[in-house]
Amino acid sequence: MSVINVEHLSKEFILSKRMRRKNNRDSFHTKRISNVKAVDNISFSIEQGEIFGFLGPNGAGKTTTIRMLTGVLKPTNGDIFIFGQNFWENHIAIKQRIGNIPEMANIYMDLSGFQNLDFIGEIYGLSKQIRKQRALELLKLFDLFEKRDLKAKAYSKGMKQRLLLSMALISEPEILFLDEPISGLDVQSSRIIKELIKDYNRKGTTIFLTTHDMDVANELCDRIAIIDKGKIIGLDTPNNIRKIVQDYQALDCQFEGTPKIDELESLNAVKHVEQFNNNYHVVVENINDGICQLIDFINLNGLKIKNLSTYQPHLEDAFLKLIEGGS
Amino acid sequence: METITIENSKWKNFTIQLKRSYAVSKKDMKIYYNKAPVLIQGILFPIILFFAFTIGRQVAPVYMVSGLMAMVAFLISTLMSPVTLPWETAQKTLERLITSPISIKTILLGNVWSSLIYGAAFSLIPLIIGLILVPSWISITLPLIILGCIVAGFMFSSFSLILSAPPSDTVSTSMILTLIIKFPLIIISPLFMPISSPFYLISPLTYFIDIVNFGLTGLSVFGPYGVLLDFGILFVLGFGFLFLAFALHKKTLEKRFRG
Repeated sequence: MSVINVEHLSKEFILSKRMRRKNNRDSFHTKRISNVKAVDNISFSIEQGEIFGFLGPNGAGKTTTIRMLTGVLKPTNGDIFIFGQNFWENHIAIKQRIGNIPEMANIYMDLSGFQNLDFIGEIYGLSKQIRKQRALELLKLFDLFEKRDLKAKAYSKGMKQRLLLSMALISEPEILFLDEPISGLDVQSSRIIKELIKDYNRKGTTIFLTTHDMDVANELCDRIAIIDKGKIIGLDTPNNIRKIVQDYQALDCQFEGTPKIDELESLNAVKHVEQFNNNYHVVVENINDGICQLIDFINLNGLKIKNLSTYQPHLEDAFLKLIEGGS
Repeated sequence: METITIENSKWKNFTIQLKRSYAVSKKDMKIYYNKAPVLIQGILFPIILFFAFTIGRQVAPVYMVSGLMAMVAFLISTLMSPVTLPWETAQKTLERLITSPISIKTILLGNVWSSLIYGAAFSLIPLIIGLILVPSWISITLPLIILGCIVAGFMFSSFSLILSAPPSDTVSTSMILTLIIKFPLIIISPLFMPISSPFYLISPLTYFIDIVNFGLTGLSVFGPYGVLLDFGILFVLGFGFLFLAFALHKKTLEKRFRG
């Protein structure tokens, strides 16, 4: 069952810029107006219980899309249906059932961790008793209990992000919108957050996640959509998206001795070679021919293999190929 | 598990949003008002300004109390509301609020409650001092003066919301706009403007001063039913400014989240 349906969604910003123009006699100002299409006619649907990743380079339209889905920006065109209802006709009722961590969001620095949670609980209409109970549970779960009465300005970046996530969870939302939730976090905090995302998803929460971290998308998402210049240029499971680059085959090698790159590239099975310090990334027509010809080349030139492994195409390669194709 | 559902009934929704606006106002009071520099500025500034203009002039004690009350109510009620939204935009906390199940009207109403509570409460301080010094002022009209403080606090707070409508995230921009508009309204009030000049009718402070003067002396400059006119004007202006603020903020809200 789809919980989110997005149909032909577009967002256009009207930007006006004052320019100084000069003529022969005097100077005057004129206003130049230009339209910028941040999101251009995108459609997709998200199933209940799914972790849906929304990937794209900076400025692709990820944040604008999530802002339209959470009621911050009104679409220029198109419709959003959440729980089968038109979002902009029932946005207050729908927002009651969703949780959100905006990318640039912040906590109230002059309130303690507990007060931040209590405030958000109150604006979601939770009773005082339930707010207290859930706030304390979440503070324990997110390892913030000991510092619950400390003003949030004393928290580290990881602690602030965990507090933000717990604020999004206090109302027990059915859908969670997370805009770059792990961006810039230390390893420990990002691991805690990833585990909690998986955990809440197992309990049935649908998750809409934007990221530009391919590893996060690969690890967490059931399906991903890739957006570039406001348009969706790919939408599938991470495995299927990776298949876009299945013809990309390569070997990663380290040698004792220094082979000449132009000689390596002269081998029939080799397409091209990239060198990073002592590592050679050898792109080949096919793995079998590539290995056989490489071994002959090594024996012929008196080299030795220190390390040889086949390269598995990453989601990142598929992402780059899609982006390059789009541009 | 406690589940909250938003009712279809408009009245029920209105009461839910009203309750949530109180939550916003509690947050505002904790973050913006309960701070020594803010309170000192809110109390000392009107007192200094008032005495700077009254020392050396023959002003009756009644007018000193009503003038000081009006100055405190006006300056405290308009102290934080104009900067709350620009501040929250800059601090990146506004987007979190907008995505919660509350409307921009609820957030603005929350701003009104907090500035109304502080403006009305602090404006009573000069009255309490006056009543201690002149016990004969204690009369049955005191509730009228307290009601006047609340209505004036509401009107001044609603007015100050308009000043935060430009979609700026720079607090100093809002403060400059506030200063440019606020001080002329004090200057043209009966505190500094002779009653013979019609300009004092433009200042909303005039009507609050008249309510206090009527409460303490039984006399209004607008005649025997003048106090009703005062309340009527403050109510109309208060709701007028509030609805104007709702419309302006609705129009400028999106611009706060561009880029």
